[in-house]
Amino acid sequence: MKNRLKKEQRTTTAGKESILSSANTLRWEIGEHVHDSLIESIYADANQIASRAVTLPDGKPRFDFDKKLDSLITSRWFGFPLMFLLLAFVFWLTVEGANIPSALIASLLVDTMHPWLRSVFVLIGSPWWLTGVLADGVWLAMAWVVSVMLPPMAIFFPLFTLLEDFGYLPRVAFNMDSLFRRAGAHGKQSLSMTMGFGCNAAGVVATRIIDSPRERLIAIITNNFSLCNGRWPTQILIASIFFGALAPPALAGFITAGAVVGVATLGIFFTLVVSWGLSRTLLKGEASSFSLELPPYRPPQLWQTLYTSLIDRTAIVLWRAIVFAAPAGAVIWLVSNIHVGTMSIAEHFINFSNPFGMLLGLNGVIIIAYIIAIPANEIVIPTVLMMTVLSTKLSGIGNGAGVMFELNEATAVADVLRAGGWTVLTGLNLMLFSLLHNPCSTTIYTIYKETKSVKWTALATVIPTIMGIVICFLVAQIYRLLFV
Amino acid sequence: MIDPGKALIVFGIVTAITAALFTPKYGLFAQWKRARSGMKRALVEDALKHIYDYEYKNINCTTESIAGVLLISTDEAAELLTRLSAMGLLITNDNGVKLTADGNSYALRIIRVHRLWERYLADETSVPPTEWHSSAELAEHTLSPAETEMLAAQIGNPNFDPHGDPIPTPTGEMPPRKGHSLLSLKSGEFALITHIEDEPEAVFAQLIAQGLYVGMQVRMIDRSNERVRFAADGEEIVLAPLLTNNLTVAPITEEEQRITAPLDSLASLKIGEEAHVLSISKAMRGQQRRRLMDLGVVPGTTIRAEMKSASGDPTAYAIRGATVALRRQHAAMIFIQK
Amino acid sequence: MSQTPKENCDDCPVHNLGNLTKLGINMSQFDFVVALAGNPNTGKSTVFNALTGLRQHTGNWPGKTVTRAEGGFVYGNKRFKLVDLPGTYSLLSTSTDEEVARDFILFGQPDVTVIVVDATRLERNLNLVLQVLEITHRAVVCLNLIDEAQRHNIKVDTRRLAKDLGVPVVAAAARQEEGIPELLKNVYDVASGAYICRPYRLERTAPRLEKAISELTAKIKKEFPLLPNTRWIALRLLDGDQKIIDAVKSGELGNLSAKSVATREAVQ
Repeated sequence: MKNRLKKEQRTTTAGKESILSSANTLRWEIGEHVHDSLIESIYADANQIASRAVTLPDGKPRFDFDKKLDSLITSRWFGFPLMFLLLAFVFWLTVEGANIPSALIASLLVDTMHPWLRSVFVLIGSPWWLTGVLADGVWLAMAWVVSVMLPPMAIFFPLFTLLEDFGYLPRVAFNMDSLFRRAGAHGKQSLSMTMGFGCNAAGVVATRIIDSPRERLIAIITNNFSLCNGRWPTQILIASIFFGALAPPALAGFITAGAVVGVATLGIFFTLVVSWGLSRTLLKGEASSFSLELPPYRPPQLWQTLYTSLIDRTAIVLWRAIVFAAPAGAVIWLVSNIHVGTMSIAEHFINFSNPFGMLLGLNGVIIIAYIIAIPANEIVIPTVLMMTVLSTKLSGIGNGAGVMFELNEATAVADVLRAGGWTVLTGLNLMLFSLLHNPCSTTIYTIYKETKSVKWTALATVIPTIMGIVICFLVAQIYRLLFV
Repeated sequence: MIDPGKALIVFGIVTAITAALFTPKYGLFAQWKRARSGMKRALVEDALKHIYDYEYKNINCTTESIAGVLLISTDEAAELLTRLSAMGLLITNDNGVKLTADGNSYALRIIRVHRLWERYLADETSVPPTEWHSSAELAEHTLSPAETEMLAAQIGNPNFDPHGDPIPTPTGEMPPRKGHSLLSLKSGEFALITHIEDEPEAVFAQLIAQGLYVGMQVRMIDRSNERVRFAADGEEIVLAPLLTNNLTVAPITEEEQRITAPLDSLASLKIGEEAHVLSISKAMRGQQRRRLMDLGVVPGTTIRAEMKSASGDPTAYAIRGATVALRRQHAAMIFIQK
Repeated sequence: MSQTPKENCDDCPVHNLGNLTKLGINMSQFDFVVALAGNPNTGKSTVFNALTGLRQHTGNWPGKTVTRAEGGFVYGNKRFKLVDLPGTYSLLSTSTDEEVARDFILFGQPDVTVIVVDATRLERNLNLVLQVLEITHRAVVCLNLIDEAQRHNIKVDTRRLAKDLGVPVVAAAARQEEGIPELLKNVYDVASGAYICRPYRLERTAPRLEKAISELTAKIKKEFPLLPNTRWIALRLLDGDQKIIDAVKSGELGNLSAKSVATREAVQ
């Protein structure tokens, strides 16, 4: 023991220096092949050891089933149609399947629980403002986020995860890569993008599968261009009011769907264009590489997948409702009910921002709704409705200042909006602005967690906002030049 | 309501002004940034670097040559030299100027930063080769010694920059330049490119466009006063003699296999075919190269082309039991023997 | 009975407590620390879940685990801490993930490193196994996805593999929890010193490096006479590996050698 300690102590500075300096000299002599040679010799040994231990099946080609499936999935003729069909099926299942549980949850949380909660507050004698903030503000915001978001996520993500576990998604990335390569991005971005149609925060987390820094940042920053499920309802509602109504009733549904798909496709277009721009300018300084492993097909573990993705996603939704939407609900109630002079803060702000909103072909109500609703896109439409009623002093609609509401009939919504001075241009620009504005605060927070960089987080927030403002502005001016 | 026509005009003006200010490279902001780097410290450092470079190449350095390189007047150059000798960085004698020991180590430090930065750009970023030099010209005046050492550690303490120039050690050691001009090769002689000079930029851009890279094997075919014909990795290239001056070559080692015909690349492998990897082109660098080697693409590996993606690129290959998709541009840099 | 010196107890941990704490591992309630390494998409997370009973999401994707997961289990009255390292193809490149994994194994000196490999693509996975065996001498190879290999008619001779690698090799199908008891037992045996690993070490390298390696190896041996794998250190120095350069400079390399000698003596 002592002996050894002595030996350790003899380790001198001079000795260490001599090791390092001779290592340096030797490095000049042998050149730069050490890394390559090292990997080469490791693989030579790995090959020897593996060949002794592994017996491969002889005769028939390996992975017969896998190969057949692969040749179908990646074939020139069937590859893309198969992919579109599968994705369309997943989306259809999500939308159709989510309708009923969404309505159920909404009726439970909004129609039943909300009045009940109010009466409890009144019963225990809480002051009206506390009842307002907690029951009308906080509770309703949370209820909306949960009812709009939870059912689609509970259907979409397990389906997506099953495709992933089976091994199909890497093949999608494989097929889509050439498109994304031209935009300076990675084929796997097609997957984080698709994931973003469900939820941008989940899409940002999904970019972890991209192992090249530059391509991963591109995927993170552009994920917001995927229309997330908090924004789909807005698109559908507005499209049916302002575009579906233009067409004869038989075609209304078709026109509405066309307008929404058009906006979503525009989002994909912006994803590619912005990816292209970023890869050639701001992200030039990031390392870039490409490799994509295609894992063997594996039978997915149905129950485990359902269990983990349900638990994971439910947790995300609830956390998001509590941490981000609840305070927003309180703010919405407060600004509509605190009066300065004769008007509430909200009305002051609506009047103040109205000229700017009009410049963009929007109006003050939409501007304030988007500012307050940064935490969650789901509450934009309820906020817009409530504020429109508040600022136009419509009577008999809604439940009072600060109480968000939705109307069951699209025609009723249309009446409220038209009373608020909305035109086709307002509808069109709201759809564009809903696609192109800052990510919701959950997504912003997630981007920060994933990139650990204020710079990239700020960029991901600012780029779509500026694009939204500029594009809405241009559309508004051109529309007015042509039609007014 | 604001008149839409006027609004559009105002918007156009604002866009034009923003563009004028912030366009990369040509915008006023970029020009201001460049101008700032041309301040005193940068001038001193550039002058030292230039003098060092000439000493290294055994060329006489004069006030005129300094004025020419730094784009300043002869008077300013003379003034600069006086300042440098007052700082004890150089001494002036009859046939020009000479660096003192201090001046020498200062110059080496600047060169170290410059070359490290180029290597960093080449390995760790996707900045194109033609921009390496100009970016390093800025970085060499702004990086502190501590930052420089951090950068070196981060990229694995490289010994050479991407042009094949040795990077001086922190203590200022640097081996003498090896190799000679491409023009010195006899017909049929083999050599390796050890250096591609990055100045002037236009010439460098042409050489890069030909696909030349440091570590490439060349064989002289013939040359005349008008043109030089040589094979690079087996592929025939014709250049003006002036351009070949920027290429330095060194004799090929015994172990190295002589390349006599154009090599097949992995990109030429048809689906279902198998081949052995001969080498990975030195033009593939940094993360991409490391990742490929980690996946088992090393000389001797057997690779089979499995399938093409529905859009034709990338292609999936069976590599050591795994299926890995590679883009055509990368497959083209893996040389194989069928 | 006289007090046994700490180095000579037969199941004393070998981990470097100071470094582990620096790496953010709280060992206050654990006897041994086990690191879990492996290629991406080999079912590493599934093995982790099978060992700890946690339910981390696992997917058919290379590189799902990004944040480090930790868990614990009890076996044979000893408490084990399990640390899931990022899935990597190698420990030599300069990506953050690989550095995290390498630093943990080299400087944290886990009592056992479990290397999860995909039985259907053994050769590719051995790249990582051989690299891990260069920097630790207490490892267990978990030959996962053996069911998949059987389905594809691939036979792996685990005894032969164990003999060649010099560490225990356990065939497992973690999704079905097959082979997990055997894995636990082997981890316990290696941690407690009941099984002595003689890990395979690289010998052949390119001839043009040979002279430089032997010259440097001699110098390192003189300075750190107890270091078990000087050849590897020499190779890393020749590759300009900053962490190893720093370890030489600070003398930390000497610490590592003292530890490994202690365990070697303990098991003899």
